Amino acid sequence: MSPNAIRRAEADAPGLAPARVPGLAGTWLNFWFTPAPAEPLAVVRMLTATLGLLLAWSYAGDLQTWFGPQGMIPVETARQWRPAFGVSLFDLAATSSAVTASFATLVVVFILLGVGFMTQAAAIVAAVLWASLLHRGPMLAGPADDCLAVLLWCVALGPSGQVWSVDRLLADRLGHGPAQPTVRACIAVGLLQVHAAAIAAAGLLSQLKGDVWWDGTAAWWLAGRADSRLVDLTAAFTGSEYLMNLVTHAITGFEAVFAAGLWFTATQTPLARAGLVAWPLIGLVAGEPLWGFAMGIFCVPLAGRGLFTARAA
Amino acid sequence: MACAAITVGLCVYLCGLLLSIVGNTGSGSSAVVRVVKSRLFAAWLVPAWLDLGFEHRLTWGVPEDADHALEIRGQSGNRPPLPLPGPTGGERAARWRRLARSIASDGEEGENSAILATAVAAGTFDDLGTEDVRIRVLRSPVADRATGTAPPVEQAYAARVRRIAGDLQLIKDEPRGEVAPLSQPAAREPQPTPAADPTGAKP
Repeated sequence: MSPNAIRRAEADAPGLAPARVPGLAGTWLNFWFTPAPAEPLAVVRMLTATLGLLLAWSYAGDLQTWFGPQGMIPVETARQWRPAFGVSLFDLAATSSAVTASFATLVVVFILLGVGFMTQAAAIVAAVLWASLLHRGPMLAGPADDCLAVLLWCVALGPSGQVWSVDRLLADRLGHGPAQPTVRACIAVGLLQVHAAAIAAAGLLSQLKGDVWWDGTAAWWLAGRADSRLVDLTAAFTGSEYLMNLVTHAITGFEAVFAAGLWFTATQTPLARAGLVAWPLIGLVAGEPLWGFAMGIFCVPLAGRGLFTARAA
Repeated sequence: MACAAITVGLCVYLCGLLLSIVGNTGSGSSAVVRVVKSRLFAAWLVPAWLDLGFEHRLTWGVPEDADHALEIRGQSGNRPPLPLPGPTGGERAARWRRLARSIASDGEEGENSAILATAVAAGTFDDLGTEDVRIRVLRSPVADRATGTAPPVEQAYAARVRRIAGDLQLIKDEPRGEVAPLSQPAAREPQPTPAADPTGAKP
């Protein structure tokens, strides 16, 4: 971190700027407390809101069928399924119109988050309502839903509405100064990095418990699911066992390299940029395109690190 | 001071994240880990949907990873069955498949699956116009790579759900072997030859 940046940080947020501490403590302070621009978080905010709308859309058609007064998943059933401490604001919606109104609120909040209007409040409300919706029907939730919950809390933590938002336009109109790098943005981006690595590592460890990821046939099992697959690669895999093995090992190999490589300066940005392409492709092969999209969102701040920093400067 | 407080908060959260990943997966975590996680972290991670293991295995090549679908029909068979997810696709259909898989693969006890199957079936009473329905979870096995042919659809779960006098009843189809265990015919076992009864009485 440059001396100028430290001086600027000390002026902006006294007590929060990293001191010149050597060793592990210095690394910790630099990682979490170096003031960062809000642009990466703004991109994450917009993409997260888009993902939220897409996932919410998947609930919309069956909302009453599942959660309505005569629905398939009554509140008592959901309570049996979710863990202790699980709570849902949707439990309070006892009528069809209340269920619809709660869901409409969630959609409106996602839109507000996307355009960046009352961003901070919208992000917190979106995170709370999304967690509530998932707790209302935990057996319906998938990997993309989990990732969206994490993304929303990270966006809620950082100043994602400081740039490229309606809030910014209003602030400019009121004569407020331009957005400055903040420690909050750094913490939010740091948490995104931690979660991206953690999700990739946890997924990899889970996969390696299955023989198919070792013998190279996992790609066949993914492609062979006729109902949930998005692209039919069975003909290609039938024709070439090597291709099937290559795809299988490429997935686990990328996850391993991604989880570890995010922590090294030299590999961080290239891997994050590769992740923008690789994660959606993995999602496509696995029949979980929105999960691939979500994982791609985690990569955005790191992939654009140089670009965003240059723009902020 | 603020920096120290945030550092403590971050450390606590990262510990919770680590314990959630260890404790929520099939990694065989110890009882200590589970207790620590549930006592210290679950109370605030669970409501936020952050108590996650991120066990996104994609597939293990086991039957439970195949596509599942629900089929609900009236017991009398007067109306066509209700296929779920039906013609929908994308994430919406994926949610139906997760629902079906949850019913089919809920451990050996199956208490939760019974509760869920009952609720799901009862939710279709109005659509099917009857309060006596049959719910089935159908599994589409993955095709064999050598032959390219897909095995026929399997029945992963089946039950009859009805409402009698206001009470819901679920009668699960049990595998035939569990209902009527096979027993070896007595004739195959070597039997001692009974000695002739001098009185002529039959045994």
